[in-house]
Amino acid sequence: MKKSKKFLAVALAATMAVTALAGCKKDKNYAEQVDKITIMVDGTLFTLANGRDQFEARLEELMGVEVDIIQPDHSGYYDTVSQTFANPDTSTWPDVVLLGSTYYATYANSGVLADISDYYENSELKKSGRIINEGLIDGLYINDGLYGISPARGNGCITYVKKAWLDRCGLTAPTTYAEYIAMLDAFMKGDPDGNGVNGDTPYAVTSAGIVNAEAPYVNYLPEFFQDAYPDFYQKADGTWVDGFTEQAMIDAINRLTDAYAKGYLDPELVTNGTKDCRNKFFEDKCGVFTYWAGNWANTLATNLEAKGLDSELVNLEPIAEVGNYIERQATVWCVTSACENPEAVFNLFFGTMLDGADGQQLWTYGVEDVHWSTKAETNVINAGLETEKKYVSEEGQFHWKTNLETGAALYSKAHIDKLLAITTFADPAKDVGNADVNPRITASAKVFNENSVLAPVITSNDVMEQYQSGIMSLRIQLVSECVTNGLSVTDAMARYNAEVGTQVKAILDSLNK
Amino acid sequence: MSVAPYFTKGSREMSKIKSKNNTENSVVVNKTPLKLRIYKYRWFYLMFIPVFIFLLVFNYLPMTGIRYAFYSYRNAFNIKWVGLANFERLFETSAFWTSFVNTLVISVTKLVLNTGMAVVISLLLNEMVNLVFKKFTQTIIYLPHFMSWVVTASVFTLILSTSESGLVNSMLVSLGILAEGEEIYFLASKEYWRVAYYIINIWKDTGWGTIIFLATLSGINPELYEAAKIDGAGRWSCIKYITIPSLSNTIITVLILNLAKIMNLFESVFVLINDNVIDVAQVLQTYTYSITFAAAPDYGFSTAVGLFRSLVACILVLICNFISKKIRGRGIV
Repeated sequence: MKKSKKFLAVALAATMAVTALAGCKKDKNYAEQVDKITIMVDGTLFTLANGRDQFEARLEELMGVEVDIIQPDHSGYYDTVSQTFANPDTSTWPDVVLLGSTYYATYANSGVLADISDYYENSELKKSGRIINEGLIDGLYINDGLYGISPARGNGCITYVKKAWLDRCGLTAPTTYAEYIAMLDAFMKGDPDGNGVNGDTPYAVTSAGIVNAEAPYVNYLPEFFQDAYPDFYQKADGTWVDGFTEQAMIDAINRLTDAYAKGYLDPELVTNGTKDCRNKFFEDKCGVFTYWAGNWANTLATNLEAKGLDSELVNLEPIAEVGNYIERQATVWCVTSACENPEAVFNLFFGTMLDGADGQQLWTYGVEDVHWSTKAETNVINAGLETEKKYVSEEGQFHWKTNLETGAALYSKAHIDKLLAITTFADPAKDVGNADVNPRITASAKVFNENSVLAPVITSNDVMEQYQSGIMSLRIQLVSECVTNGLSVTDAMARYNAEVGTQVKAILDSLNK
Repeated sequence: MSVAPYFTKGSREMSKIKSKNNTENSVVVNKTPLKLRIYKYRWFYLMFIPVFIFLLVFNYLPMTGIRYAFYSYRNAFNIKWVGLANFERLFETSAFWTSFVNTLVISVTKLVLNTGMAVVISLLLNEMVNLVFKKFTQTIIYLPHFMSWVVTASVFTLILSTSESGLVNSMLVSLGILAEGEEIYFLASKEYWRVAYYIINIWKDTGWGTIIFLATLSGINPELYEAAKIDGAGRWSCIKYITIPSLSNTIITVLILNLAKIMNLFESVFVLINDNVIDVAQVLQTYTYSITFAAAPDYGFSTAVGLFRSLVACILVLICNFISKKIRGRGIV
């Protein structure tokens, strides 16, 4: 009897242990719970012409499930996203979607996104201790719910000044607004481009628009905006205010109007796209350009070199009145509420993307021998052209390969910018390009990282959703008219109050409730 | 008298009934059963089926979306019946009224200018004697029509630029009309945007618009000109008393047909608009686009704007139809 009891007890214990382990295995094997993961992403991932198929195949291999990447045209990405989420047939929705900060707040507020807070809190990712910027994820919580994760910081813009222009005018990098304006004045009146003619500089600064349509709105002309912010933001005491009507904004508009009238600013800044600005900078039409920190520092310098110009750029530290550059809220990867098994998709997707090993390598560097390699080879850019350049690499040396689509540059990242990533590599060997970061990139990123603050948190509610886009359009229009079309700030503010004053009040009331 | 082979027995009978009805002024009653008539014309019905399905799927089925004008529709999970609230909001929004007025002003002006220029150029082409040169000129002026609006906008942005690549400003400076540094930012100036827009439209579409007028001109009886010349008429008198009167009916037709379409203004404005000129350039279609693809769109409100635009367009079509019936004796719909 005793023997049989013992046997029964052992058998039961063994069964329990096996069942528990089996359960464990089942829970952990998320790949078996999902047939396919559809991912909607913009042009910040490799496009079809840039080896997206190879990326997708490698991702499928790592996640162990079929992956379908939906990648609309980059410029019309959010049009497609909006149309997708307007469709009541949720079977057409992706499981995972990449959203900008404004869209993240809006969609989180309206139930389009799945709350992943529990999955995150219990995830291996969180337990791993490799997250070096947990504050970024904490900032994504909305009403105690987490609806997405940013794998990297949002980055921001810093001001680049051509060193040769400064030298020719006998100047050093400005540290105050007065010095900054004196620099612009010297560029306009002197001979910064060294062509032997004084005062023939078309303009000193270029920019794509004055106030941008997307947050943080003022990142292309920080020296003029300084502490002004043309949107709703929360003050230190917790109250929400409309930054557009504050004195700081009025002062900023006056500074911009004055600079435009004096010819310091590109006269076509209202119709400029960012590509127009870059080309003008490369054509030596101006010496000051505020653009993205990090990788772009190298791209700008490389293009100046290709034009035969001096490529040394000064990464301007924010002038005293600016204090800090603004870091935009990062783009967020979200699981949609149409996803049938959000827990499994969360663990598969983020568990691979930020695994600190092969998955993170894929999202950071791309596919081996497609986007990067360690084989002995020569990569050529602009093949057959006057500007042809060869990059010879030895066996075992990490190097980026030539851009498959353009052939005009080498790749410099996949989706996650290594310098901005929120997680470290668990296996340092997988961080293949760690030693390859261009010093221009690190120098630019260093200035930005040491001198930036996160843009005000974007919020959303029903009242804001109704009025916000109309209000923002009017703000952009009024600033533009003041600076380039002679509208007075007083008239602009009067029109603003007359047209959207009640809407602004309704939003502020709803936020301060 | 022999009967033409394509007159069937049925059609002859119908002719008889018609003539009888005309004389007696009574209502036609077709006594052939419906099933028989359908069977008789079965092949026509069969051929019509694909067109009917196409119309149903692509023209009528989407119209069910009109109902969303009475909803707040933010996304699939946020659809609420709001009755006429979207229309109330619409009529209270100044940007909507600005767009509405701009649509009418820009469209009507564009229509008059484009038609006027097409007539003038048709008359000039008609007077050309050298046929080779005439054909060459026609080809040259037709070409811009085939250029996309995106390319057209890029080309004119360069031409009207304030930089050294801006042809117009460079010319004005060279001629001493403008001082250096005072170049005009045409496409970002409220004062000049519409002028630039009309000129770009004339450049792009006038050539194409001449086709219908040239066709009419080629149909004018040459004997009229010969008789006029015998009576001592010069070239100008021929144009004034023969060509223009012969063309007048076509001009009216073209104007009426295009008047019905004046609310359909989008692409040309969309590619040329910028933040500085919204007050003078925003039209209903671009306004609808901007609110539809904003960060927090309300498709219900966008649909209300679209529905209002369609209603106005519908009224315009009916007015044009009425005018057409009065002037030409037949309608356009």
